[in-house]
Amino acid sequence: MPATVNAAKCKSCGALSYPMHFLCPKCGAREFEPEPIEGEGELLTHTRAYALALDYEQRYLTLGIVQMDSGIRVTGQLAIDEPRMGMRVRATVGTVRVTGGSEISGLIFVPA
Amino acid sequence: MRDVAIVGAASTPFGRSQWSLLKLMAEASHAAMTQARLGDRRIDAVCVANMGSARNNRQAGLASALVDRLNLFPAAAETVENGPASGASAVKVGFQAVASGMSDLVLVCGGERMREVNNLEATEFVSYLSHRYAEYPYGVTLPALAGMFARLFMAKHGVTAEHLAMVAMKNHANALLNPNAHIKMELSLEGILHSPHALMNNPFVADPLRFFDCCPVSDGAAAVLLAPAEMTSDLTDRPVRIAGIGQATDTQAVHERPDPTELTAVRIASQRAFEMAGLEPKDISLAELHDAFTILEIAQSEEVGFFKRGKGHIALAKGETQIGGRLPINTSGGLKAKGHPVGATGVSQIAELVFQLRGEAGKRQVKDPRHGFALNFGGFGNSVVATILSRGF
Repeated sequence: MPATVNAAKCKSCGALSYPMHFLCPKCGAREFEPEPIEGEGELLTHTRAYALALDYEQRYLTLGIVQMDSGIRVTGQLAIDEPRMGMRVRATVGTVRVTGGSEISGLIFVPA
Repeated sequence: MRDVAIVGAASTPFGRSQWSLLKLMAEASHAAMTQARLGDRRIDAVCVANMGSARNNRQAGLASALVDRLNLFPAAAETVENGPASGASAVKVGFQAVASGMSDLVLVCGGERMREVNNLEATEFVSYLSHRYAEYPYGVTLPALAGMFARLFMAKHGVTAEHLAMVAMKNHANALLNPNAHIKMELSLEGILHSPHALMNNPFVADPLRFFDCCPVSDGAAAVLLAPAEMTSDLTDRPVRIAGIGQATDTQAVHERPDPTELTAVRIASQRAFEMAGLEPKDISLAELHDAFTILEIAQSEEVGFFKRGKGHIALAKGETQIGGRLPINTSGGLKAKGHPVGATGVSQIAELVFQLRGEAGKRQVKDPRHGFALNFGGFGNSVVATILSRGF
């Protein structure tokens, strides 16, 4: 089964939140079901970061904040050469960090 | 609640230090304590601000280690870790101890020795401020969050790279007047933005932010000594009063904020501090803002209420925030040029206000200041502490 990144869907009011909080930010309930983050959205802002943390050997990372059509907002990596604010993007899941030999999956956005 | 005074304030030089973390902190603390006529009085409590000594300097339990270093036994000791807002948080904890009557003399010392680890480790350490699952795994660093914020903010309000450079030039110029500043370097628009060599002199760190839009990684310590108002006249001739403190928290993941260009915790913390002090932004004579990135000085100057939304960069361009302007901002050089030893920063901002309000700021002295404002900003605006100091009682 391919890796997914999940938002939290409140079992009580249906509100989506990401990242998950202990209680639903809308209604305060604490039961959630996972809701895969997928589909398209709009790129709100982005940066090409050159001062990187540990675990990265490339020269830069392209990062962005995306407003998903589902209503939630997420931070992810961008596999986009010339990102523009407001462009349509599509969520994919891939390896975003390799730490201590283990691969961490996360959101990587591509042009829609 | 008792009124609380600052009766001593000091800072070590900021920069790459040969001193150990505890030596830095002991020097700042001792200098602050010796400004007060303590006589036989004992320090009741020591409150330390630090973010990473257990990771970067192999020292946990830093406050009790400082009590030991300074022979202040049996003073109560505790360390406050609140990210880059640790400094002002520790001053708040000390304030509460004195105001409540539980303690009389409280030493607050912020210290950080970040150059003990290499730049990669330091960037990694600071990136632990980001959300552990929704930001950190992606390689999100503080400069990256600031870059994404800057791009949105600049597009929304018409702020340009020149405006960002003006913040850097102003704060570098102020730092040249501060003997304790980390960076002593005059900047020009030509050198960092317009010359054919600008990209080499001033490369991108997290676009649109460039090297000279970011604060340096510094070692340093600063300390203040707090006492109840009734004891003040015995201890000093130039007391400074803690008039107001406000604090607020925002979402940890920046993307969750309804408008990611708004720094809601800055606005609420500032409102609370003004309310407690019974003052308004127009009453403030000078301000130390948390310019870890140039864009933040502009954004914060608006959220605090000094300028209308979208007008901070215009006031900056008119010179209103220079020394001698209507509201000097970051007379110390700010985090940008004085330096940013994270745990020390909030205490150091408050110490700068004390120097100014006592008329001891030398060549960077603001004329006859009455009230000073400091904004200490943790994470990317997750945790914010605003402090207002007033001259005398």
